[in-house]
This record gives sequence, structure tokens and C-alpha cells, in this order.
Amino acid sequence: MNSLIILIGAGLLVPLFFKGKIVIAKYIATAAFAFAAFNVFMGHGISMEYFTLTPDIQLLEIVVLIVLAATMMTFSGFERPLVSQTLFLGAASMAMLETNNFLMFIVLFEVIAIISYVLGANIRSRLNAEGAIKMFVAGATASGFILLGFALFAMVTPSFNYAEIAIRGNFTLVAVGIMLAGIFYKMTIVPMHGWAGDAYAQINHSAAAILSSVIKVVVVIATFKAFYIFLQAYLNTTVLLFSFFAIITMTLGNFMALFQKKIAKILSFSSIAHAGYMLIPFAAIASGYSYTALVYLAVAYIFMQTSVFLLLNDLRREAHIKTLDDIRGLYQRSPLHALFFTIQLLSLAGVPIMAGFISKAVTFWAGVDAGLWPLVLIAALNSALSVGYYAWVIKHIYFDTTDGYNTSKIYMTPGSLLGQLILLAGTIYFGIFAAPVFVSTGI
Amino acid sequence: MSSIMLIFGPMLLAPFVYFISRGAEWVAKWAALALFVLLLIISVDLYHALPVGGGFLVLGDYLRVPGFDYALTLQVDALSVAMLILTAALLILVVFTSWEEKMQAAYFSLLILFAGPIFGVFMTTNLLWFFIFWEMTLVPMLFLVGIWGGERKVYAAIKFFLYTHFASMFMLVSFFLIYKQTGQMDFTMIKEAMLATPVLIWWFMFIGFAAKLPLFPFHTWLPDAHVEAPSSISVLLAGVLLKMGAYGLIRFVVEMMPATTMQFSMYMVVLGLTTTLFAGFLAIYERHIKKMVAYSSISHMGLVVVAIATVTYDGLSAALYEMIGHALVISPMFLIAGWVHHKTHTWYMDEMGGIMQKAPYISAIFVLAGMAALGLPGTMGFVGELTIIVSAIKAYGWWIAVAAIASLISAGYVIWAVRRAFHAEISPIVAKSKFDMSKPEFLALCIYAVLIVFFGVYPQPIFDIANNAFAMFGGM
Repeated sequence: MNSLIILIGAGLLVPLFFKGKIVIAKYIATAAFAFAAFNVFMGHGISMEYFTLTPDIQLLEIVVLIVLAATMMTFSGFERPLVSQTLFLGAASMAMLETNNFLMFIVLFEVIAIISYVLGANIRSRLNAEGAIKMFVAGATASGFILLGFALFAMVTPSFNYAEIAIRGNFTLVAVGIMLAGIFYKMTIVPMHGWAGDAYAQINHSAAAILSSVIKVVVVIATFKAFYIFLQAYLNTTVLLFSFFAIITMTLGNFMALFQKKIAKILSFSSIAHAGYMLIPFAAIASGYSYTALVYLAVAYIFMQTSVFLLLNDLRREAHIKTLDDIRGLYQRSPLHALFFTIQLLSLAGVPIMAGFISKAVTFWAGVDAGLWPLVLIAALNSALSVGYYAWVIKHIYFDTTDGYNTSKIYMTPGSLLGQLILLAGTIYFGIFAAPVFVSTGI
Repeated sequence: MSSIMLIFGPMLLAPFVYFISRGAEWVAKWAALALFVLLLIISVDLYHALPVGGGFLVLGDYLRVPGFDYALTLQVDALSVAMLILTAALLILVVFTSWEEKMQAAYFSLLILFAGPIFGVFMTTNLLWFFIFWEMTLVPMLFLVGIWGGERKVYAAIKFFLYTHFASMFMLVSFFLIYKQTGQMDFTMIKEAMLATPVLIWWFMFIGFAAKLPLFPFHTWLPDAHVEAPSSISVLLAGVLLKMGAYGLIRFVVEMMPATTMQFSMYMVVLGLTTTLFAGFLAIYERHIKKMVAYSSISHMGLVVVAIATVTYDGLSAALYEMIGHALVISPMFLIAGWVHHKTHTWYMDEMGGIMQKAPYISAIFVLAGMAALGLPGTMGFVGELTIIVSAIKAYGWWIAVAAIASLISAGYVIWAVRRAFHAEISPIVAKSKFDMSKPEFLALCIYAVLIVFFGVYPQPIFDIANNAFAMFGGM
């Protein structure tokens, strides 16, 4: 409860400093996240009815809060409107991850959706507005589906607690299907991904960093927990449905990313492709490793994806870098940005020894363990294909020179450096040490 | 010192070396040299510590994870130690041959970074960690080829990276299929557990290793990568990275699934022979001197596969000998091909001619290496090819003697290359070029020449290692 009060209180307090010293707002926000993370580390969750703090959720919450704190550090005055929303998001994410009640899940889902609309619409430009409106319209449609499905589901279940949910044959199946259709919008699953490719690329990159990583991960994990009982109950449907969507999502995401010229678009489609990988643990529900795999994917993805979008945010703010042509010879202009970007991209591509590889490996293992090796082979080849566009960005950074392009130096602010170091430490730590995730998920 | 530091030490050292030596570039070079000499000493020391009569020397067990066999188990046997010694020795020679490379701080830091995972590949027996190190070697190579390479370096670097990464994915899936069947990720445990239905696993793994070797039809990345890479890096690609493929084939395909390998050995033989002959003919056709050497390299790796496919003690020993021989023979050829290009600014042999008259010693080393490649008695090439053909005849009968045609073909391309580029009349391009070479580079070439002849005349040390490594296949 303490963490929630601190986060929401800080969120209400920081706007007071927006006109004066933005640094104070950043410090307050970072301190609030640090406090909340410490509180969770000590085992103090929300501790109210409908909320439980298990070790796996504890790990995820710490990761989410640390990543949000690191994000906060990289902010400059330009991103000030995001500070309080990020704090609210921290509180909502904690609640969403801890809840064990379906009604709460739906309510918090909407809360997070509203925070994400505000995050997206904060900074005013035409392009930004276009992205934000796309996101809002898609999100509103999704909410409609979710509420319809939930209403149907509510007709037949005596209780909303995850442990006491009753399943009534095909009626529940229809309800669950409709709810999933809505949730797939949020998870950017093909064919409900249309908004994401544009929205992530057009809104402010720091907002996109939060949207495409923290929010997506929180939604996916909470969905897995909420729908676990349905996934088990309709095993055959689950395997078919999720395998199908996993394959088309990752394949289309990767192929679309191959043809992009704007870096933000590449990262958006890479995010969509990763949503595809995240469906593999859903399909592999029969394996005891499916939840571990999903948590590992979530933890790894959140560090990598936040980091790349924040780096891009830095580069756009400082040097108006948008396309692959702009990023040519980046290593000459800013060796630090180049190095961080390269390591995180390699991690996203699934190159060892970073977290991106081992999280995918555990996911693939969960798939094989559930007997879905063809799905895993397709996913693995997709992952190899994705190297095509990640390496293409690295090629522009290191192998091309700045000849004929802007050669001015780009400096990294100390806050940004610290934030990126934290994210990089997370990427490498979870790449080498797998025990925390396995222990916390009880394997 | 803890054995895990052999792997992670260089990886941690690399960024430090880079930052220290940005002001004083010579530091990186000497740091790399010192580290590689240390690695060579430790590897030789490991060889002496091996248990007598074969088997694994346990070095440690790190990073254990409950519920998932993701422990970094370090164990070495004679085969892996042979590879470690070869790797360390080649790395030292590579430092010599890159003595005057540009941007030394970054170059040698990347070499140091490369040393960590390549040692990991040969030291771990855990399949997942093997895969991790296997993939990690690609990253420094991507940058070494992409930054220091020739005209089409970017294309070559990315093609190499994508191609081998793509093929490795089959291997990863096969590792998980093994884990599913046996509940073990450790090679020594899997061997005892025996796989029940290994056919799919065998093929997936074979694809992964075949692309690295490379076997026809997965070889197309190699000519690009080897030609565009700087010559010293071509040496590492041919001498170490291709050996990873052969090592994997012996360790994880033959030793882990001997019965299945017997079942499919004819496919391996056919693919190996096709590779040998196909690449040999391409080498004859080639005007480009470095591409000719690259195809010659592929051709020899095809022979290694033929030897491995016999699944006998004789064949595997011959394969190990030829792996080491190939590394030592092909390296000076790559180096001299790159050096000739550097001096004459042409790749084409018909535009050269008469180099022998202007640089007799270096040309002589090329001729020696070329003679070893075609299997002249008294050099490593002869022992390698002879043992391979003898073991293959024992296993398959007389028809396999067609493999000897490979030797004939290599005589064709080597002698013709020597005639066109080194003997003949002095061409205008050669006449106006100045053929000088730095002392460390020349020293490295001389060491190669000495080793080629030494092991050609006295092959016993390598067969001692083979004897220890393949004792389970009924040694001598």
C-alpha cells in the first residue's frame, strides 16, 4: 500500500515543479520509484484484498520500477509532461501485476489504457497527434470488445477470483475469444497491429519506450495470469489459436521491419515481432516452463526495448536523427550512443550473451517441451531473420562514415548515461544469470 | 586461476584494453600478444593434465540454475585441447601478421574479445553454453570483417553473420529436442542416456555444422567472407571458425550419435566428396588469387568430412590431423595472397607474374604451402590426405579412391597459380610494385613454413593427441 501512495502522491506533486526546475521533479520521481522498488524488494506489496505478491511478481515489479526510474533519469525538460503519467503508470502496473481478480484486471486494464493515451498525446505536433489518435481509436475499439466479452463471461461465473472462476463450456469459450480479440489489440498481435507500427514511431520516443515495453509487458503477464485457467481448459484451441497468431505476428513483424527506412519504424515492427514471440509461452501452456519463459521474455524485453527507444529519443532530441541515413557513422559522432545502441540491438536480435538470447532460448525450450517443435523452428528462423534489420542498423552505425552528412558531435547527458548503464546492466545480468527468474517462478 | 576466467577474462579485458590503448595504440598489440601467449601456455599445460587413456578432465561447473540444465560445465579432452592449442597458436601468429593494421586499439580489442568465446566453444560440454559461445564468436568477426575488410566488406560481413546465424537455429532446436528426450544438456550425460529417436536431431545438427564447415550447398558465404576479410582475419576464419564446424561434427554428431551417423554416413561421404570436387573445380576456374585459396580451403574441408563420416578411429584421427594441417597450410596462402594484392593492387593472377623474381623468399613459402595443399610428401598435406584416403578405403572399399582426384585437382590449381602469378615473365604491374614485408609478418610466415614441414616429417605428436581423443573408437 505504501508504494502505491508514494507513487501516486509523487505523481500529483511533480506538476508543481514543471514551470520551475524540472530537475526537482525528476529527482522526486526517481526517488519514488526507488522507494517503491525497495519496498517491493522487502516483500511489501499492495496487501489488500484481491492483490497478492508472489516471488515472480516481485521480480517483475522490481524490474518494471527500476526501468521506469532509469527512464526518468534520461528525461530532459522536453519530456516533462510525461513525468507524472509515468509515476501513475508505475502504480497501475504494480496493481495490475498483483491482482488476482478478474474484475480488477478489467478495471486496471482500462486504467493503463487511459494512461497510455495520455502518454501518447502529451507532446503536440501533427505527427504526434496522428499517432496518438490512431492509438486512441484502436484502444477504444479494443475496450469495447473486452467489455462485451467480459459481460458475457460475467453472466456465467459465480466469482471473479482467479481461483474460483467457473467455466461453462462453449459459452465461456466465446466470451474468452471476444475478450482476447480486444486484448490482442493492446498486445499488437497481427492482424490487430495496424495502429502500433505508426503510433510507436510517431509519438514522442520516450513515451513509445514506455508504451512498447512496460505497458506491453504488464498487459501480457497480467493476461497470462488472468486467462491461465481458460488456456488450460481449452487446451487444443489454445495451441492452435496461439500458434497461429504467434507465427503470423512474428513473421509479418520481421518482414515489415526489413523494409523500413525510419529507425523508429524498425523498432516498432521489432516490438510487434516480439509480441509474436510472447505468444509462444501461451501456446506452450502444457509445459511447466511456459510461465517461466514468459517472465523471462518480459524481463529481457523490457530492458532492451526501453533502452533502444530512449537512445533514439536522445538522438532525435540532440541531433534530429530519424532515418537510417541520419545515423550513418554514428560511432564517430557519439561513440557511447553507438555502443549502447549496438549492444541492445544485438540483444534484441537474440545474440548471446545478452538477455535477449537466453529469454528466447527458454521460450523455445518451453515450446519444445510442450511438443511444438515446428512452431519453435519457425520462431527460431524468424529470430535469425530479424538479424537482417538489426544488423542493418549496426551497419549504418559502424560500417558507414558520415561523409556528406552532418558530422557534429552528439553528447550524452549524465542522466541519460546513468539510465542507459542501468538498462545495459539489466540486459547483461539477465543474460548470464538465469537463476533469479527460474527461482522466482518456482521451477 | 579459475578456468572460467579463460573464457570471461578476455571478454572483460577487451573493453579495458580498448580504453587504455586509445591514446597509445601499441598497448593493445602487446596486450593481445601477451594474452595469447598466456592462453597457449595454459592450453599446453591442460594437455599435460589430461587423464591418461582418454576421457574428460573436469575443470569446473558454474552458474547452475535450478530446474533447467543451464550450467556452464567446463570439461576438456584431448580433442578440445588440440583445438585450444591450435586456436591460441593461430591467434599469436595473427597478432604478428596484423602488426601494422590500422586502428589498432579497436582491432586488437576485438581479437581479445574473440578469444574468450572461442575458448568457450572448445571447453564447455553443456550444449546451451556451447551454442552461446558459438554464436558469440560471430559478433567480433562481424566487426573485424565489416570495418577492416576489402571493397565489398559490408555485404560479406552481413552475409556471413546472417548465413551462419540462420543455420545455427536448426542446431538450437535440435539441442532442445535432445533435452526433451534425455533431460540432460551436458554432452557427457547425453552420451550415456542414448537418444531414442535421433533422426530429426541428427539432420538439424548436421545442417548447423555443415553451414559452418562449409559443405556444399551451404558454402556460398565463405568465398565472400574470406575474400573481403583482411588476410589475418581470413586466417582466423579458415583456421578456427571452420574448425568449430568440424569439431562440432565430431563431438556432437559422431561421438553423441554414432549409430545414427553410421546410418547416414553415405550422405556425409557424398556431400563431402561433392564439396571437395566442386570447390576444387571452382578453384581451377578462378582468376582471383584469394578466391582460389578460399575454394581450396572448402575443398580440403570436404575431405575432412569424408574422414569423419567413416566413424572409425583411423578416419577421425586423419580428420583431426587434416584439420590442423589445413589451418597451417591454408593460412600462409591467405596471407601471401592478401599481401600480393596489397602490393600490386590487383587480385587477378593473370595480371601478376614474376613475383618470384622480386620477392623470392615469400614466393617460396607460397610454393611450399601450395605443395602442401596438393599433398607433396614431406609436408602436412601428404600425411593428411594419405591417412584420409586410406581410412576411407578401409571403411567403404576401393571406389572411394576417387577422393584422390581431389589431390590431382589441387595440383592443377596450385601449380597453375604458381606458374601464372609467381613464375612467368614479370608483368608491368609487378614491375612497378615494391615488395616489402614487415619483420613480424615475415617471421609468422616462416613459423608456418617450419610447422608445415615439421609435422609433415614427424606427425607423431598430433597422432598422440588423436590416440588420446578417439580411444573409445578402438585406438591403437
